[in-house]
Amino acid sequence: MLGALLYLRLTSLRNLLRMRLLRLKQPKYLVGAIVGAAYFWFFFLRRAFIPPVNSPSMAHGMSPELQTLPMMFLALPLVILGLKRVIEAWLAPDDKPGLAFTEAEVAFLFPAPLTRRMLVHFKLLGSQVTILFSSLLIGLVATRWVALGGNYPQHVVGAWVIFSTLNLHITGAAFTVKRLIDGGVSKARRQAAVTAIILGFLALAAFVAWQTATPPTAADTASPLRLIAYATHLTDTGVLYWLVLPFKIVLRPFLADDTAEFLRALGPALLLLAAHYVWVVRAETTFEEASIALAEKRTAQLAAMREGKYRLGAAPAKARPGPFRLNAAGGRPELAFLWKNLLSTNSYLRPRTAFITAFIIVVGCNWLAIQPRPQPKLLVVTIIAGITAGYIAFLGPQFARQDLRSDLVHADILKSYPLHGWQVLLGELLTPLAILTSMLWLALLAFALSFEPPNLPWLTPGLRLVGIGASALVIPLLCALQLLIPNAAAVLFPGWMQATRHRGERGIEMLGQRIIFVFGQLFVIVIALLPAVLGAGILIFVLQWLVGLVVAVAITTIAVVVILGAEIACGLWWLGQRFERLDLAAELRP
Amino acid sequence: MIEVTGLAKRYGTFTAVKDLSFAVRPGEVLGLVGPNGAGKTTTLRCLAGIIPASAGTARIAGHDIATDPVAAKRTLAFFPDEPRLFDYLTVRQHLAFVARIYGVTHHEALAQSLLEELEIADKADELPGALSRGMKQKLAIACGLLHSPSVMFFDEPLTGLDPLGIRRMKDSILARARAGATIVLSSHLLHLLEEVCSHVLILKKGEKIADGTLADVSARFANGEANVSLEEIFIRATGGTES
Ligand SMILES: Nc1ncnc2c1ncn2[C@@H]1O[C@H](COP(=O)(O)OP(=O)(O)OP(=O)(O)O)[C@@H](O)[C@H]1O
Ligand SMILES: [Mg+2]
Repeated sequence: MLGALLYLRLTSLRNLLRMRLLRLKQPKYLVGAIVGAAYFWFFFLRRAFIPPVNSPSMAHGMSPELQTLPMMFLALPLVILGLKRVIEAWLAPDDKPGLAFTEAEVAFLFPAPLTRRMLVHFKLLGSQVTILFSSLLIGLVATRWVALGGNYPQHVVGAWVIFSTLNLHITGAAFTVKRLIDGGVSKARRQAAVTAIILGFLALAAFVAWQTATPPTAADTASPLRLIAYATHLTDTGVLYWLVLPFKIVLRPFLADDTAEFLRALGPALLLLAAHYVWVVRAETTFEEASIALAEKRTAQLAAMREGKYRLGAAPAKARPGPFRLNAAGGRPELAFLWKNLLSTNSYLRPRTAFITAFIIVVGCNWLAIQPRPQPKLLVVTIIAGITAGYIAFLGPQFARQDLRSDLVHADILKSYPLHGWQVLLGELLTPLAILTSMLWLALLAFALSFEPPNLPWLTPGLRLVGIGASALVIPLLCALQLLIPNAAAVLFPGWMQATRHRGERGIEMLGQRIIFVFGQLFVIVIALLPAVLGAGILIFVLQWLVGLVVAVAITTIAVVVILGAEIACGLWWLGQRFERLDLAAELRP
Repeated sequence: MIEVTGLAKRYGTFTAVKDLSFAVRPGEVLGLVGPNGAGKTTTLRCLAGIIPASAGTARIAGHDIATDPVAAKRTLAFFPDEPRLFDYLTVRQHLAFVARIYGVTHHEALAQSLLEELEIADKADELPGALSRGMKQKLAIACGLLHSPSVMFFDEPLTGLDPLGIRRMKDSILARARAGATIVLSSHLLHLLEEVCSHVLILKKGEKIADGTLADVSARFANGEANVSLEEIFIRATGGTES
């Protein structure tokens, strides 16, 4: 029986690959593939396989510090995301399933005479495909990070260990939670217990660290790398060692410096992985063999599944009131898209939240400013605002996807509306644009209120004000330009986008692809910004002699807005044309 | 009013529809019939401006769908075979969204009466996930009717509805035709088509085999027999084999 499932997996995979190759017969996909491959080769592959033999490359000239910062910039959110997934799995509201099945799988496999354990294996095997692929990609990115040490195979295996353990852990957690629910443990009690355990863990760790650790010296805080070394050293001693041991075991193969260390770290990591596997399979078995009293309930559940009503992995959709009043009369139709797509976001992404946050920022910064020694605290606010802005600007467009990327399945309906292609695209862009712009404006507000300028004679209050105004003006345009890129990919290469939109696979396993996209996007945006930046440089240089720096910046801002606006308008118009000619059904065929 | 001349659609080297010409006047209901893969859906998608035709022209209520798509689309409604709904919008929110897209003023009353007519008013605040297939289809229909289109394209409108739903659907199509709408629908349920359509067009492998009023087409394939069913005609016309 498992043979049939294996057959399904392997043939699907083979046909997917075959379809991808056949698609290259279309010139546009061929060009896309060549460009993608070139990008991939120059930025990742070349480094991984051809060591930079004493070439005076940029990376060599850079200090490890400088090389590490951008990677830490990427690694930090990944770690947070992973932890968030684990915590979510344990806190989970009860309707969240441990395994996400597609509709076809529900239709074919659930009525089939298969045990649940087989289904579990089938799913685990399926996620391995994505995990392997992601590990290969992450390995490429990691190998560019010279300061990390290790080599490509180590990074791939290390990433595979991390992802697989994470995947198993989340599945196991979901099964365990399900068992707790069936055992009559109420949601509130479980969530309280989980929260208490997490908080207790954090409190214990903080307490132990506080009690035993030597405070960091000035040398330790000198740079992020040193700080990491200090923190790592902390966790090598005493109780703290045992507290973070599981995390360390999982991460160590990936972080190993050389082959010997890697091999030493691999054993425990694989053991932990195996333990997780046993846990998942056993949790599943006991689930199956649970008390007879629950059998009736389970039968009903299974019947619902077989009718396809049990929507595994579907969105936790709940009806909500609209984000703002949408009166039909006389308004621009594009705003309807904003209204619609905002409905699909978290309900805290509303103007109200932005106003409350702005209020808190204003009050907070002013309160800090009247404190006796405001300087260091304000500086912390400035730094946090800057880092947040960096994340939102660079990673935001990949994560705020409430635009054409998630609406592509509705292309037929969208195209039957009496709108031009560019109108649909503009409308679709508005939601992530509004979300990212508001976040960046808030960061800018915090920055402006907390930034204590160094004593430079040319940095007048007037110039600061104009600078902030200029940033506020340019931010939405920059976001729009950034968002155009992934949407262009969706319109031009729907055959590729579609495949990455499998339900239930949006998880952390997809991160490899996302990271590659982020770098690619960065690359494109730099090219797109080139005209504006060059123009701005020349303008400022010339104008400051004529009219002074403040006016020069103001005039330059207008010029930049015009250039970027024109780029966006052209992009929208062109993509709109492409969208009008798009036939999704034809694109999805080989 | 729909006027189609020389319409063709090619996918790469494969021709899905070739040299199709016909006209449908206000008040008429044209039934598009043909074996699976004959090109019915393709034709309807071309006429609704969802995919561009490879050759030929189509005028919808006087507007050329290729050169003036927005004006043409304002007057038409397209109902796909599978209802495609937005996951996060309730029934009522779907109607509010569509009203804004088409600029329908004071849509609330109209929406309410449509929902009542289609008997999904009690589900007005549910998300599509909570609706049955038939209800989803009804919602898609309500969305399409909101802007009072004068030209309507239905792809398999009767599949998935309950008997009462089919009766209502038939009545509503007939009522709208009587009110002056121009309607094209495709279906495999030939005995139902007979009751709704004034005209039929038989397609096979993308080519028109016959079109005209029901009586005309029957006469052509009846070989002098009386009371030949549309089903019998269909089988004779398409040679009884799949294309
Ligand atoms: N996007 C496409 N790309 C390539 N070929 C297509 C595409 N869409 C349809 N076809 C082909 O065109 C032909 C007509 O398809 P169409 O969907 O119009 O048939 P149909 O008459 O609606 O069939 P059914 O009764 O099954 O709904 C079929 O052979 C189909 O395989
Ligand atoms: Mg069809």
